[in-house]
Amino acid sequence: MRLPRRDLHSLAGPYALDALDAGERDRFERHLERCPRCQDEVRRMSQTATALAMAAAAEPPAGVKERVLAAVAVTPQLPPVTTRDRPRVSLGAAPRAARRYPRLVTAIAAVAVAAAVVLGGLLAVTRHQLDSAQAHNQEIATVLAAPDARIASAPVTGGGTATVVVSHAENKLIFTSAGLPELAPTQVYELWLLGPGSARPAGLLPEPVAGKTAPVLASGFTAEDKMGMTVEPSGGTSSPTTTPILVMPLPE
Amino acid sequence: MEAREAPGPAKRADADLDALLTLVARGDQGAFEALYERLARPAYGLIRKVLRDPAQSEEVVQEVLLEVWRTASRFDPAKGGAATWVLTIAHRRAVDRVRSEAAAAGREQRTSQAAGAARDDVADSVEATLDAELLRRCLAGLSDVQRESITLAYYGGYTYPEVAKLLEVALGTIKSRIRDGLNRLRDCLGVS
Repeated sequence: MRLPRRDLHSLAGPYALDALDAGERDRFERHLERCPRCQDEVRRMSQTATALAMAAAAEPPAGVKERVLAAVAVTPQLPPVTTRDRPRVSLGAAPRAARRYPRLVTAIAAVAVAAAVVLGGLLAVTRHQLDSAQAHNQEIATVLAAPDARIASAPVTGGGTATVVVSHAENKLIFTSAGLPELAPTQVYELWLLGPGSARPAGLLPEPVAGKTAPVLASGFTAEDKMGMTVEPSGGTSSPTTTPILVMPLPE
Repeated sequence: MEAREAPGPAKRADADLDALLTLVARGDQGAFEALYERLARPAYGLIRKVLRDPAQSEEVVQEVLLEVWRTASRFDPAKGGAATWVLTIAHRRAVDRVRSEAAAAGREQRTSQAAGAARDDVADSVEATLDAELLRRCLAGLSDVQRESITLAYYGGYTYPEVAKLLEVALGTIKSRIRDGLNRLRDCLGVS
């Protein structure tokens, strides 16, 4: 339904309650930018709506807090909006990737909380890697959207945090990390699937950007396997040659 | 924030939340945890009320809280307090979800079964907090159409044309009942 402009301000109440459909909401928001009186009215009505929300408070299920805090620990934040254009930095991958951020957000907006964990990792991907990352991304989204997807984080010996998102139904997992110590150029972090008496290579961690590594996808594990990580010579090895700095059970 | 009147407890608490959210925007995870303690319950309760399904509500509240972390730098205290900012995101997400579900499942069915459902559960499932008790009394002071318009829209996630249809009232009437009802609620609740 389209209202003449002069009637738009009558939508302040429905807007404050999110009772407009998407089209009308957009239209009203454009109007809102130029209507100080409506802004004032929406602000007051939204505060009243907040009282309605406060009164509905209920305890979130067990595990929500841990999952959210684990995700927060590895999720980058949007920069504030500044009035002047931010200076363009042409060196380094992070700012370039950051410009693609909104598109990636849209692409993965539908998936669960763990998406942002991986978005953190995706930020670390350089621009020319992004196209192949999109396909990779698709696969990651499948894991994240799996109804049985579970997330777990664990500290890494020597510093940093490892986060794993697992779908047993898809038999796929995603590994990301934050804050791992920098390695010598001749070394690499290697992931392992550790079973009883066996260690299968599960990929090498990419170079971190802003302390976070892009997601590594692994498959072919069993419920008993643990996620392991060692420091290995560049290029990786076929079996661990150093003591693992991480051994974490896969979340069930 | 300038205070035109002496800040009541609610207002002071809001100012604290604003300060917390400002710290969150600078990457302070401890501040985020403190914010979580204050707002996760209202966010979850609200989402649960709109979506009803516990599993989906759990998923959405996690998304919302992470969005709060990610976008905290966009919070502008001049446009309203931190609680309003967070709970607006929570409500928007819940409503978007319930509407996309409804679009997939067939709108008619949902519309036909909802009229009675949303009517009483406002007071039913809310916790016996002072907030809830005060709200219950204030809602009781509204006219039936004002109260039902507001609760169907806000807790039910309906658009105002849907509310008009459910209550068999003209569109223009619903808009004015929502506005009048919210204004009366605000006076009754003493929302600044």
